[in-house]
Amino acid sequence: MHYSVTDHLLIVILGFFVAFGPRYIPILFFSNRKIPDWFNDWMKYVPVSLFTAIVVKDIFISGSYHFISSGNLDLILASIIVIIISYWTRSMAISVVFGLIAVMLLSMLI
Amino acid sequence: MKQLENGPQWRVTLKEAWPLCLSYTPIGLACGILLHAAGFNTILTGLVSIFVFSGGAQFMIAQMLTTTAPILTIILMLFFLELRYALLGSSLASYLKGQNHRFLFLFAVSMNDENYAINYLKFVTDRNWTPKDALQVEHWSLLVWTVSNIIGSLIGSAVQINLTVVNFALTALFLYMIVMQIKTRLILLISVVAGVLAAFFMLLTKSTLGLVISTLVASFLGFMIEGYVSKRWPNSHLLYKIHDPSGQPEVDKEDIEI
Repeated sequence: MHYSVTDHLLIVILGFFVAFGPRYIPILFFSNRKIPDWFNDWMKYVPVSLFTAIVVKDIFISGSYHFISSGNLDLILASIIVIIISYWTRSMAISVVFGLIAVMLLSMLI
Repeated sequence: MKQLENGPQWRVTLKEAWPLCLSYTPIGLACGILLHAAGFNTILTGLVSIFVFSGGAQFMIAQMLTTTAPILTIILMLFFLELRYALLGSSLASYLKGQNHRFLFLFAVSMNDENYAINYLKFVTDRNWTPKDALQVEHWSLLVWTVSNIIGSLIGSAVQINLTVVNFALTALFLYMIVMQIKTRLILLISVVAGVLAAFFMLLTKSTLGLVISTLVASFLGFMIEGYVSKRWPNSHLLYKIHDPSGQPEVDKEDIEI
């Protein structure tokens, strides 16, 4: 199958709707209502759960959704370095910059 | 007050957004390069960066185009990938109360994982953080993301990129966010549980739907355990605070208990 520019445009337009719907509908729904306390208590745990899930996907799950146990050793080691730096410095910029340096060096070594 | 202390609003928000903008630059370049390789022209690359505005989604579009997947399949996969935004929106909604529809529309259009992460942290720790500040952070990240995608598309195949290294910028950003979130032993436990569940459900569903399921289950577990433990054993070790080496209590008590 060969794509035309129109196909690409169609992907952008349809992509917009599937990306926008999940972002907009809950915000619209919950911002105009009284949110029950239990819901807020539950949502409090959403960020940490989602961020951990994303990190696990980045490090341990391949593009075809298979588990990578030790194949990404450079990423695993760099992650540990980032965790330690984040814990001590509490600085996003330092953590990201050192994380990138670490992964660059480690990917050359390993 | 804030205006007088820290200068104009755009500088206040840029101060929070710049580490993200820094991470976005190489990833945006890489994304533009890949979209170019997949046949996307520069104008469409700019448009997709503005209207879809999701690194994961754009990388997936590039990858699926090179495997010549049918358009409907691409859109369906995108939908599953973007479903997690429903969770982000739900968890920010209590901070966006009283905003008009136009604001909520603008806010939703340019919300994504990374600027959400920054805004969530600011809303929780900074009482003066307003929805307008949050929207500006979104716009900074949108601007840098779109510009670097367009540049990536223009330089095209002239540059070699190591995707593993580039992608790690965002992984590092999320790792930082996790560390900042972990304030009690219970949250640490939930984070570990979420990681295990994420791997399990992603292998099971073979898609990022696993991210959504694991987040729902892990966060609900956290909520249940917190309710149960603080009622039964208010002195449980699970509720102990985790030491913060910066030494200052970053969060006011009232702010935690939103």
